[in-house]
Amino acid sequence: MSAELIELEEEEHTSQLTAPTFKRILGLLRPHWRWMVGFLFTIALTAGLDALFTYINRAIIDEGIASRSIPLLVRFATYYGGLQLVQAALVFGFIYLAGVLGERIQYDLRKAVFEHLQNLSLSYYSQNAVGRLMARVTSDTGRVSSLMTWGLLDVTWAIVSVISSTIFMLLINWKLALIVFGIIPILLIIAVNFRKKILVEFRKSRRANSKITGEYNQNIQGVRVVKALGREDENLNEFSVLTDNMYSASYRAAWLSALFLPTVQIISAFALGAIVWYGGLESVTAGFSVGNIHAFVSYLTFMIWPIQDLARVYAEMQHSIASAERIFKLLDTQPEVQNRADAIMAETIQGEIEFDHVDFYYEDRKPVLTDLSLKVRPGEMIALVGPTGGGKTTIVNLLCRFYEPKAGVIRINGRDYTDYTLQSIHSRVGIVLQTPHLFSGSIRENIRYGRLDASDEDVEAAARIAGAHDFITTFEKGYAQDVGEGGNQLSVGQKQLISLARAVLAKPEIFIMDEATSSVDTLTEALIQRGMEALMADRTSFIIAHRLSTIRRADRIVVIEDGRIAEMGTHAELLKSHGHYYRLYTQQFKVEKEKAYGVAVPEVVPVIK
Amino acid sequence: MATIAPPSTYFDFRRAQTKKKLVGLWRMMADYRLAYLAANLSLAVSALSKTLTYLLLRNFADTVVGNLEPFAGTLTRTLVWIALGFVGLATVEGGFAFVSGRLASYAAEGITRRLRNFLFDHIQRLSFAYHSRTPTGDLIERVTSDVDSVRTFFNDQAIGVGRIFLLFLINFVAIWQLSWKLALASVIVIPIILVVSVWFFKRVTQAYEAYQEQEAKLSTTLQENLTGVRVVKAFARQGYETDKFEKDNWEKFLRGRKLLRMHSLFWPLSDILCGFQMLGGFIFAAVLAINGEITIGTYPAYVGLVVWLIWPMRNLGRIIVNTSTGLVSYERLMEIVKQEREPLTDGTIYPSGSVRGDLVFENVSFQFEDGNTDVLKEITFHVRPGQSVALLGSTGSGKTTLVNLLPRFHEYTDGRILLDGEELKEYPREILRQQIGIVEQEPFLFSRSIRENISYGVGRQVSDEEVERAAQAAAIHDVIQGFPDGYRTLVGEKGVTLSGGQKQRVAIARTLLKNPRILILDDSTSSVDTETEAEIRAALNRLMENRTTFIIAHRIQSVMNADLILVMDKGSIVQMGQHKDLVAQDGMYRQIFDIQTRIDTELEEEISSAQ
Repeated sequence: MSAELIELEEEEHTSQLTAPTFKRILGLLRPHWRWMVGFLFTIALTAGLDALFTYINRAIIDEGIASRSIPLLVRFATYYGGLQLVQAALVFGFIYLAGVLGERIQYDLRKAVFEHLQNLSLSYYSQNAVGRLMARVTSDTGRVSSLMTWGLLDVTWAIVSVISSTIFMLLINWKLALIVFGIIPILLIIAVNFRKKILVEFRKSRRANSKITGEYNQNIQGVRVVKALGREDENLNEFSVLTDNMYSASYRAAWLSALFLPTVQIISAFALGAIVWYGGLESVTAGFSVGNIHAFVSYLTFMIWPIQDLARVYAEMQHSIASAERIFKLLDTQPEVQNRADAIMAETIQGEIEFDHVDFYYEDRKPVLTDLSLKVRPGEMIALVGPTGGGKTTIVNLLCRFYEPKAGVIRINGRDYTDYTLQSIHSRVGIVLQTPHLFSGSIRENIRYGRLDASDEDVEAAARIAGAHDFITTFEKGYAQDVGEGGNQLSVGQKQLISLARAVLAKPEIFIMDEATSSVDTLTEALIQRGMEALMADRTSFIIAHRLSTIRRADRIVVIEDGRIAEMGTHAELLKSHGHYYRLYTQQFKVEKEKAYGVAVPEVVPVIK
Repeated sequence: MATIAPPSTYFDFRRAQTKKKLVGLWRMMADYRLAYLAANLSLAVSALSKTLTYLLLRNFADTVVGNLEPFAGTLTRTLVWIALGFVGLATVEGGFAFVSGRLASYAAEGITRRLRNFLFDHIQRLSFAYHSRTPTGDLIERVTSDVDSVRTFFNDQAIGVGRIFLLFLINFVAIWQLSWKLALASVIVIPIILVVSVWFFKRVTQAYEAYQEQEAKLSTTLQENLTGVRVVKAFARQGYETDKFEKDNWEKFLRGRKLLRMHSLFWPLSDILCGFQMLGGFIFAAVLAINGEITIGTYPAYVGLVVWLIWPMRNLGRIIVNTSTGLVSYERLMEIVKQEREPLTDGTIYPSGSVRGDLVFENVSFQFEDGNTDVLKEITFHVRPGQSVALLGSTGSGKTTLVNLLPRFHEYTDGRILLDGEELKEYPREILRQQIGIVEQEPFLFSRSIRENISYGVGRQVSDEEVERAAQAAAIHDVIQGFPDGYRTLVGEKGVTLSGGQKQRVAIARTLLKNPRILILDDSTSSVDTETEAEIRAALNRLMENRTTFIIAHRIQSVMNADLILVMDKGSIVQMGQHKDLVAQDGMYRQIFDIQTRIDTELEEEISSAQ
């Protein structure tokens, strides 16, 4: 699912603030409480001062102009100017304080979530798509931090504005003030309803938008098929349905928004009319001044803006709380595989490895491995073969202790491997996966990932062993060559050679290859083969492979089918018995030979290009 | 809006191509200019009403405390009228603001809709050459985010400039009417505000981009970490990863702080500028009022009006800077728009039914536009309707290029190809493509239901029975029945993932429905297991019946029965004939054949030696 869709889906969730969540949110603020107090104080003061400006203007009218006193005027002007400077300082204060605090909270949260993610087990990763985890770290943290800064700021500003306007209005004329308060509930109801409607349309338009992007994507990727089938006109017709939907939704959202403010203004105009009418009458009987009326009109706007804005803030708040809950849930997740309390460092894991009646399943009732027993002598090379989904990779996952057996025991050197710390097992296992994974950065950095303190010479030596040195030196920058995002500047074969070099550099005690040659060309395959052999010399190794020459060299071949060991033995033994391995071998043999003789083309090349 | 007949949802944006970007954007507005004009006029009415509100306030104040005669006779009646006036003006103001906003979004959304439609259509009609050299990601980026900034331009900037201009003009004139001196005194710092805000928004845009860039970098680090979790764990590099993330995260914090520092300096600074301008105006107005040059009611009216003169100027800077984003996006979109389309209807022959499928190649050569070397050299052969031609040869021998000439994906550069006796180039592409079916080894399927994928591009309504019959003939019906939603099961990440062989059979079913006279087939079943190979072979045989078929073959077994075998090497035909003839000849074909036989022997030896 695309990141955008995940985002959309999760945005639907809203949540009410509960006491425990509130407490935890506050807990995030604790280290920075000074910043928070600072911005709350400055925004409150700003909102309060806003009301004072109006009060000064009232004084200019009623006292300065009416009494025709220039000195009074100058005095008020000085107040006004001074206040303006103070106000500017306050504005600087709250933008800076709230903004930086927001960035800081986001920084803190991302750090915490990332660090926690590092400790979570592979099972967590297999249950949660990468897109979703990305959303936890990026958008959820953003939403929480803006709730705690700009959200809080809006609320404070609204409350102080409303209160100070109320006070000033009551001070000037309580009867008029009551008229104004009469329209507030109406405004609130309208604002809330509008927001809801606009939000619905806005979501529709975003959903339509992500569909449009998806359609673009597909049509561009499949453009050759489209052309071959001559389907351009139909495609355009279908696409224009999507853009029509997008149009309706976003047009509706846009004009609803355009309707909202005028509605608020018209309603408040009734209050304005009432002020003018009543104030005008009062002015004759009770000496209600122009300044007062002017002030009232201003205070009216001070009240209306925050109130109509509150509906937005409230809606955002509910989403942010849902975000906070998702983050807290992630932080509360315990890693499924973790060190036992009394775990010890393994001195070495180079000894005997034993799977003793091991059961494993990822989901309940769907057994992947059943009662699997296997003893591996130190230095032995084991080839795991069998159909896809039979459980080969699971065996590797268990061996690396990415997962732990659900029943049965895995022993290393005769001791249950959960007695050891994870670190001491992981740091001694070298693994090369089917799809090589590289990180952005140089080739050197990627190889050095295997052993961080390795010198440049060590890196190069490892690359030589892995057979990667030759192609690396053809690059203009050699080992300093950038591999691009996820290594996308390199071919799959090159990436695989680098990941092999990385494993070589790590000097592992157990070496694992998971179909590492299945998606590379023949030449690279031969290189990998050589590198592998160097690496496997006197190491315990587990190889999942298709290539016959690799399998044949194994000390023992284990055929895994439906989570059980179907056959086990040497190449010769297994061929003799004419079983699973025999069938697998003869089929594979033809394919490989054809490839080797250049008769069959192994890779999928699109016909239309 | 109901006032204008809705413009078409399709517009040829090639008409908006020009070197002058603003002119280009203006051309894009075709059919919607009236809406924009109306939007601006409504805006003017709305702004005028707002201004009149303040002038009414002035009248009110002067009536109440000054010595102006109540215009409706008694004060009480006048007050009622004034109160109603406020409500009325607010209604007009609000009403027209709404009309203006609605018209603007009507125009902006309308333009965007047809821009999206056009781009979608344009892109699917661009040449093969363009698509092979343009990365998908780049195109997607343009049709999404660049379209969006153009939309923002039409929705915000195109109307925003008019709004600020109108507000300024109307209120300036209004204040001028109150007192020309006051009017002049009120605009002194406006040029400064404008300059400062343009300066600021330029910088803030840069800082924001730097911030976003870091955010993207952080995302990459995160994504690489999450997708590579097995590597991270296998090397026990959690600490290292945390440090790396921390570095990027902290840098993002620093950039965010820098951005905020700019904001926190600009806003108060411009507050001070605007505030002191207003204060100066207030004092001046107050002095004028004390001296009796203006009435006391003029003062609050002025205070209200001047706000609408000064504050919008702060936003003008933002609008100006954002406009440049719109202009850049316009250019990026025009780079797509200016590409030549593949002419689908270019040709003179429109056969009255199906073609027969008689194909003659006469000294056909082909080279790509950029390259000098011939990809195909002097290809000559003849296929009669219903015959099958097998092409055998290594990767790069020209097999694929040869078949791509048939639907005119590429145009041959020399020689001629005759279809039913007529030059191929005289058949319009769309006609040819209706007559030619292609089945790839691992075809691209769309994320739609399986049923839709089977009937995709067939070009007519097909019944469920027909789809199922085709699926049965393609030996995929049973597989489909096994899916949770049968034929309605979605293909792709939201539905089922099909194997290569299954995809191929879906394409076979599709081609059966399309029923073309000429068939291009990629026949390599090497990666499929034995049971399905037989099924696919049976399905392919059904498909090939009565059609002129080109088979791109990778092994001898699949070419043995062809009516004509072309053995290709480096763009030329090196051998041609039927299996029995070619095996008898000395040459590449026999070499390949010998190898296949040898493999079987080797396997036997291998097994017996192991035992």
